[in-house]
Amino acid sequence: MTIDLTQFHDAFFEESFEALDSMETALLKLDIGAPDKELINTIFRVAHSIKGGSATFGFSDIASFTHSLETLLDELRSGGMQVTLAMSDLLLKSVDVMRAMLRAVQHKQPINAQRVSDLQFDLELMIAQKNSAPAAAPAQATPVAEAPAPAPPAAAAPAPARWEIAFRPYAELFARGNDPLRMLRELAELGQLESTVDIGGLPAFAALDPQSCYLAWNLVLTGDVAESTIRQVFEWAEGDCDLQIRLTSPAPAMQTVASGQIEGAQPVAVPSAPVEPAPVPAAAPLALAAAAAVATKADAPAKPDAPVATVADSGSIRVSVEKIDELMNTVGELVITQAMLSQLGSKLEGPTAEKLRGGLAQLERNMRELQESVMRVRMLPINVVFSRFPRMVRDLAQRLGKQIELKLTGEQTELDKTVLEKIGDPLVHLVRNSIDHGIEAPATRTAAGKPAAGTVHLDACHRGGNIAVEVSDDGGGLDKDRILAKARDRGLVGPNDVLTDEQVYDLIFLPGFSTAEKTTDVSGRGVGMDVVRRNIKELGGKIELRSEHGKGSKTIITLPLTLAIVDGQSVSVGSETYIVPLISIVESMQLKAADVSRLSGRGEVFSFRGYYLPIVRLYELFGVEPRTKVLDEGLVVVAEGEGHQRVGLFVDDLLGQQQVVIKSLEANYGHVEGVSGATILGDGSVALILDVPGLIRAISMRAAA
Amino acid sequence: MVSDAASLKERLAALIDEPLAVTLDITALQRIDTAGLQLMTAFVRDRAGQGRTVEWQGSAPVLATAARLLGLTSLLQLPA
Repeated sequence: MTIDLTQFHDAFFEESFEALDSMETALLKLDIGAPDKELINTIFRVAHSIKGGSATFGFSDIASFTHSLETLLDELRSGGMQVTLAMSDLLLKSVDVMRAMLRAVQHKQPINAQRVSDLQFDLELMIAQKNSAPAAAPAQATPVAEAPAPAPPAAAAPAPARWEIAFRPYAELFARGNDPLRMLRELAELGQLESTVDIGGLPAFAALDPQSCYLAWNLVLTGDVAESTIRQVFEWAEGDCDLQIRLTSPAPAMQTVASGQIEGAQPVAVPSAPVEPAPVPAAAPLALAAAAAVATKADAPAKPDAPVATVADSGSIRVSVEKIDELMNTVGELVITQAMLSQLGSKLEGPTAEKLRGGLAQLERNMRELQESVMRVRMLPINVVFSRFPRMVRDLAQRLGKQIELKLTGEQTELDKTVLEKIGDPLVHLVRNSIDHGIEAPATRTAAGKPAAGTVHLDACHRGGNIAVEVSDDGGGLDKDRILAKARDRGLVGPNDVLTDEQVYDLIFLPGFSTAEKTTDVSGRGVGMDVVRRNIKELGGKIELRSEHGKGSKTIITLPLTLAIVDGQSVSVGSETYIVPLISIVESMQLKAADVSRLSGRGEVFSFRGYYLPIVRLYELFGVEPRTKVLDEGLVVVAEGEGHQRVGLFVDDLLGQQQVVIKSLEANYGHVEGVSGATILGDGSVALILDVPGLIRAISMRAAA
Repeated sequence: MVSDAASLKERLAALIDEPLAVTLDITALQRIDTAGLQLMTAFVRDRAGQGRTVEWQGSAPVLATAARLLGLTSLLQLPA
């Protein structure tokens, strides 16, 4: 039987990467010395499932590595070894290596074998060191009894539960990375375990496939254990075995049912078969139980509370992003159609028209809800990005010899997946900057009367229709004088120019600007802040810097919630309508002829809050015949591009503010300088959405030419 | 050192028809899984079926514990 397993690869990779993330998170939470058992279990489960998966798919390198890792983790779990700092480092490195291996396999690239085997050696070494340590035999201490049992504990007052477990693994259990030994060992920790093996299926040695499991077990577990706990032990084997768990009366002197009998009574046990409803009448002698099982099983589905546990499904499904985008697109079209209908309806007269308008209003409401719901589907909590920081901060702090405390707040703030994907790198950069430049060395901090450990704080929250992400630190803050001196050095600022704080901070966003006294491999190469700002701008966002010398600095990033719609101001130029994103608009005003002056080489400018801003006549730029060419007959929209660069866009009129669905021009036509996309208006006409930073770039290039 | 069941099988296969008593030295055994024990069980059982014996040399707590957990102690003819 051959099944094409490659179809499952994508899901395996995706799940594995996610699992590794959670493993990393758990590792970082792990307290040295007194680890939380639940966390260790989480970590173990990840290693275990990756091992199982990679063994199934034949990624033997990964399987072998994770096997070593799992062995080490198993020791941790059983308490045979303690979590030390060295071990936690080793485990974190293992996460990296597994990630790298998975990525290599995913992209069909060679695995860095040297790195893997080095680390695997370290893992094995650590295990070996434990094994050579004297008298570490936790397993031996566990009360395990060879069947037949020396009579189960007498049915004294609060008799412990007696569970009968029929565990029949499928042949492929081993290949899936499951080892019955481990499960039985776990069971033995829960209570007193008697195991009877059934070797009826074991073929002759020569015919035996070492990778297949031929054994089956009938187990009796006596102890105060919940059924769900038992199920948990077998959780990883689910689907790879038949499992029957039955509570029998704690009466003594009961013989384990021969496996054959169980087989006869329950020929087709499904992996997650609903367990017999727990309370089999206590008096029922077990001799009947096997036969009765059939009956109980038949009426089991009728009992509402019959199937317990194994419903670990979190109630979510995986959907490809394309499907959601398609849905999103269709909804966008619907919104346009609805707007068209509304416009049409408002023009109609007569008694039915009133009803029609009522219906249209209802339609509009529903449309908005639908649009929001679809949008929400694409939203993910920012935690997806934040979660990579604890590890990064830890590593960086170690490398730089600083003490850093990372504070994360607002992790549950949701934003669009596309925005989320693009915000990661800029944030990484900002956090690195904070740690490298911002936070001082512990000695400097204590000397300044600050706690030795610096704090880096990442915060996210919704603000209006935007999301604000703040990166702040309590470090030294930006050194204004040094920035200014450096800028003067490089001729970016004239020797006598006086700059506001804001303008000084703006300097660090210039390409190639770095004030770090020495370049480290962490930051200070001057490629950074300009890239950060460009990325943020590309997302339609803004970046702002605040700093107080000696007290720290704060970077505030404001981003739209989604890239699919934009809040825009529609403006008219002749017969055309353009959309100016609201986030770029500073103010709209009517000019008086007296405000305008002509500068040689810079064209027309007007005075705005003490600065002279160039006037951009949109009709000239787009070659449209306007209603008016006289400046004081139209309106000027003051718009801001990168780094407080402002221009006045001269338009005929302002039409109204609305949310518009962005349609990509690139996808349908091609890139146009100064235009970020297009949208379809209620009347079915197309309006271009202006890209203000791009527009300003285009103009200054034209002026320079 | 035997690291996986497949290579263990190869090594045991060479011994399965050995007419003399086979002695398995388990002193250096550090890890064992069910697959390995299953193999050993088949090995011991098949040899016993032909009237041939298997003896154990040394002791390995890992093996003893594992066998007990899996209910294989007597089948493996391990000292209880």
